[in-house]
Amino acid sequence: MNSLGYFVEQYVMLAGALFTLGCVGFLVRRNVLVQLMSIELMLNAVNLMLVAFNRQHLNDLNGQVFAFFIIAVAAAEVAVGLAIVLAFYRLKSSVQSDEADQLRH
Amino acid sequence: MQAIEALFPAHNYTLLAFIVLLPLLGAAVNGVFGKRLGKEAVSLLALSVMGIAFALAVVTFFALGHAQEGDEAARFFWKGWEWFRLTRSDGSSIMLNVGFSVDALNGTMALVVTGVGFLIHLYSVSYMAEDPGFHRFLTYLNLFIFSMLVLILGDSLPVLFVGWEGVGLCSYLLIGFWFDDDKNAAAGKKAFVTNRIGDFGLLVAMGLLLYFCGGLDWSTLDSNARGLLTPLQVWPLGTHVPAASLLPQGAEAWLNTPRYVSAATLVGLALFLGCAGKSAQLPLYVWLPDAMAGPTPVSALIHAATMVTAGVYLLCRLSFVMVLSPAAMATVAVTGALTAMFAASIAFAQQDIKKVLAYSTVSQLGYMFLGVGVGAFTAGFFHVITHAFFKACMFLGAGSVIHAMHARIHDTDASQDMRNMGGLRKYMPITFWTFTAAWAAIVGFPLTSGFFSKDEILLRAYTSFIKTPMKTLSDGGGGTMEVFSWPPWLGTALYAIGIVTALMTAFYMTRLYIGTFFGEFRGWKIVKNWKEPEHAHGHDDHGHHHHDPSVPLEGPVPHESPWQMWVPLAVLGFLAAFAGWLNAPLFHIETMHHWLEPVFEKASHSVELIEGAEHLEFVFLGAAIAAFLGGTGAAYFIYVMQKGKPAQSFAEAMPGLHALVVDKWRIDEIYEEYVIGAVDSLAEFFAWADKWIVDFLLARVTAFLVSTSGTVLRFLQTGRVQTYAAVMVVGLGVVGWFFVTPRAEAKVDANDESGVYSLTAAEGLGYSYRWDLNNDGKWDGDKGDFGDKTQQSLNLAVKENRTVRLEVKNAFGRTAVRTFNFERPAPDRSGLTSRLDGDTAPVRRAADLRQAPKPQEVK
Amino acid sequence: MTVGNVFFLVASVVALFGACMTIASRSPIRSAVGLLITIVGIAALFLMLNAQFLAAIQLIVYAGAVVVLFVFVIMLLGPDAGDGEGTIARARLARYGAGAFFVLLALAGAHLVSRSELTAHRFKVAPAGHGSVEGVGTLLFNTMVIPFELATALLIVAVVGAIAVARSKPHVRRESKSASPTARMFHGPLMARDAQRPLPTKAERAAKAAGGVG
Repeated sequence: MNSLGYFVEQYVMLAGALFTLGCVGFLVRRNVLVQLMSIELMLNAVNLMLVAFNRQHLNDLNGQVFAFFIIAVAAAEVAVGLAIVLAFYRLKSSVQSDEADQLRH
Repeated sequence: MQAIEALFPAHNYTLLAFIVLLPLLGAAVNGVFGKRLGKEAVSLLALSVMGIAFALAVVTFFALGHAQEGDEAARFFWKGWEWFRLTRSDGSSIMLNVGFSVDALNGTMALVVTGVGFLIHLYSVSYMAEDPGFHRFLTYLNLFIFSMLVLILGDSLPVLFVGWEGVGLCSYLLIGFWFDDDKNAAAGKKAFVTNRIGDFGLLVAMGLLLYFCGGLDWSTLDSNARGLLTPLQVWPLGTHVPAASLLPQGAEAWLNTPRYVSAATLVGLALFLGCAGKSAQLPLYVWLPDAMAGPTPVSALIHAATMVTAGVYLLCRLSFVMVLSPAAMATVAVTGALTAMFAASIAFAQQDIKKVLAYSTVSQLGYMFLGVGVGAFTAGFFHVITHAFFKACMFLGAGSVIHAMHARIHDTDASQDMRNMGGLRKYMPITFWTFTAAWAAIVGFPLTSGFFSKDEILLRAYTSFIKTPMKTLSDGGGGTMEVFSWPPWLGTALYAIGIVTALMTAFYMTRLYIGTFFGEFRGWKIVKNWKEPEHAHGHDDHGHHHHDPSVPLEGPVPHESPWQMWVPLAVLGFLAAFAGWLNAPLFHIETMHHWLEPVFEKASHSVELIEGAEHLEFVFLGAAIAAFLGGTGAAYFIYVMQKGKPAQSFAEAMPGLHALVVDKWRIDEIYEEYVIGAVDSLAEFFAWADKWIVDFLLARVTAFLVSTSGTVLRFLQTGRVQTYAAVMVVGLGVVGWFFVTPRAEAKVDANDESGVYSLTAAEGLGYSYRWDLNNDGKWDGDKGDFGDKTQQSLNLAVKENRTVRLEVKNAFGRTAVRTFNFERPAPDRSGLTSRLDGDTAPVRRAADLRQAPKPQEVK
Repeated sequence: MTVGNVFFLVASVVALFGACMTIASRSPIRSAVGLLITIVGIAALFLMLNAQFLAAIQLIVYAGAVVVLFVFVIMLLGPDAGDGEGTIARARLARYGAGAFFVLLALAGAHLVSRSELTAHRFKVAPAGHGSVEGVGTLLFNTMVIPFELATALLIVAVVGAIAVARSKPHVRRESKSASPTARMFHGPLMARDAQRPLPTKAERAAKAAGGVG
């Protein structure tokens, strides 16, 4: 208990757990919005890992800057993704990803 | 003569090119423009081309005569151009050129071909005058003469082969000239296909000659022919028969003993196969009787005088090769004799005049091969010339008769049937007398040409044989064989067959002669007074004019033919009667013999006469005259005195035999059943294979498999992102597994000569290594720890082997092991050749095998 | 048990709880709230890792913009935003199977790592200013200025793209049923087969589900 939060491996494990949860959510849930949120979860997990490694290798702040950019890109991606969800809803009147099978054989 | 010699020197005798190419020119112009030029222009062109070719051949003949003084053979060459060049692996090359050469042998033959050809062209101008395909006919005739001249004047086997194929082609075109009738087209096809079977033999012979003699032109073959005296192992192919071990000991040994045939025999037999196809010997004679479906001038030119003698010419040209193999020569002689007798037996019962003449041709060709086979090349060749004269005369005479009959009976079959003829000597005197001269020649009437030539062949059949070149042959590698020696009884047997056949020939030819020209004209049973209908003696409708026999046919009185037809008959009749004086050994006239002697000089060293041959001359002369008298007398007796009754009663007494002979011994039916039937079954098998294996298995089944796998795989394409993500996860698992497992690899640097082998382990993320270098099964190092050493090397002594192990551990703690085996081999001191382990056979270089083995004489 | 330990424990529990709530909630709004909770947890962990600037940015951008965007869209969609009651769940086995497989992979990876001979690495003392605004800012405007500007461009593109995609179609002046697929691409469903199969209206779907289920 005395070592909680001071070892990089713990952050890596936590980030892995968060990533797993996000991936499972993406694979299992049918709701497109929940899938998008799961993607955000995965991105956050990655961010956590980056910052944790940066805390371990203190030469520079590249990890944090990388995470910064990930946040920016994630924001842009969410914006566009939600716009697509809206367009999709207009087409199919539903937000179930099962309906999006136009490219089916 | 000086002018000729100055203009055309012997090594660049351009007249040859003119002789050969003039008929081609005629054929080309007539063929392309014939229809527009009209009949007169076409015939003038064709005849003048032939005439000039003949004149040039005469000039060449005299030039040759002038050049050939003494024993040296004169030869004129004309080198056309280089055809192709074959390079051996050691750099030397064999040249195959297009060139022509003429010496005594083919100079004479060229005279015959162009002379008789000219006469037949003249004949055809009248015979085919009403035919709408007139220009086509003369084109084909000229093309034929061109091919024949290429054949006989060619300087090498490939050029001869071009001519050989060309005459085969023209034969096909001319036999099937009236191709609207299926029968004629089928006859032409049969001739061509049967010829081709023979051509296979000629090609095999060319290949063998090229290999053993290093060239294909006559001069190269002449100097290198000895190279053919090597034995070739023909059985077993390889070293042993694979399944023979299942047989009992004795049978296996017998099956595995190597059998040898000398290369000369193979060449001789292959050449003879070609001749059997072209010159209609057993078993490939079947096309010649069917070839009578063509117009009669074709039969006269091609199937009597020129094309069918090409085989005899080939054997005479390659006499120095043929005599190297007594076995092959014996085969030639025996086949010739048997063919002669066989064909004569069929001719006994034929009613169609052209068929009788066709079988007679086959029979006489058998005689020629008999003569050539025993080594009497001059005699055989002389028979070629005399046969050309009398057979062409007879065919043209038959054509004249058919022409007259056809005017009466517009039925192709009936107009050739002897039962409708008879007594024509009253109506066609010129034809009668010329035919008489030819008949006299063929039956052996004393002092005619046929008498002299046939007599000499029969004499030589008994007395002459081929010497064995050496008792045993051996190649360099231990194969030996005994050479075939001429059996002493063979001469007697050949003579017996020959004399019996002479008897038969006299009989059936006299039967033909009597049946056609003597007695009452039987074509009257047909109305006597007849008015010419609208269409003239048209040869237009050579269709199926098979009239009902009960309905009387109509026609005019048979009349003599126009001058274009009887002038050739007269010339040929004269020659048939008197050309024999060119070579009458009886009267010590040996002009032809002396003339051709230098050509056959080399071959004559191998030909020997039995003892006492000189005394037999008169004995055999008597026998020949007896055969003539016997045959003609018997025919006269049966057909004139008894009016054919003995023949009829014989036919009634033995109906089966009679039917068999009339049906030509049903050879065609046998071929149809077994040979063509076999090919048909093969074709059916391939059709089945095409339908079920290629179309079904290879096309439809594979397509089905592909489409099914497509249908199955399509289920992955759901269009939904979640499915794709699931697949990605599976792939992620695979990739992860790949990264997590360690791989133990090492690069081996082997140096067999110094014995130093070094291993460099491949690196990886977090890898650590441990080694086992000394083959003791335990890891090196104190505790077998994993370390960082990636480079190891070991020294091996000669022929020592060692097993090295490498174990690798990655950051996840997973390990992998790899084993390496090293053996240092003994140094290879063999030097020049590399060999596989355990190979102890003596090293045989390819160059050694290429040298011609030296034949050893064993006394 | 220092403050740091407790802080780490609480923050990680909060993050994990939020993640579970995100992926397991039936209602999307609950998922959005779960995401928010996770983000706050992550921000706390950033604080623990000397990434103060980043923690602030995380809260401002993620919690303040991204989650808000999600909530806006959920509001726009209305009741349709939730899991459709009427639709039939397809490929359930594949989805749950894939999820289970991934969990298995993660557990296997964790197992492998734990079994390896790696030593744990404790954090060293961080220099002052590590992760501060000045620190990150300096980096952003000196070495990383190009990616920074490009990120700006990316954001503009995203804005324009979002507007273009999400814009409602202008009022169609003429209802032209063009025969050519190209024209139809702009006027209606993409594929001809969809034109012949008009989508069921909400009432029809409900009726079908009720009939299928019942």
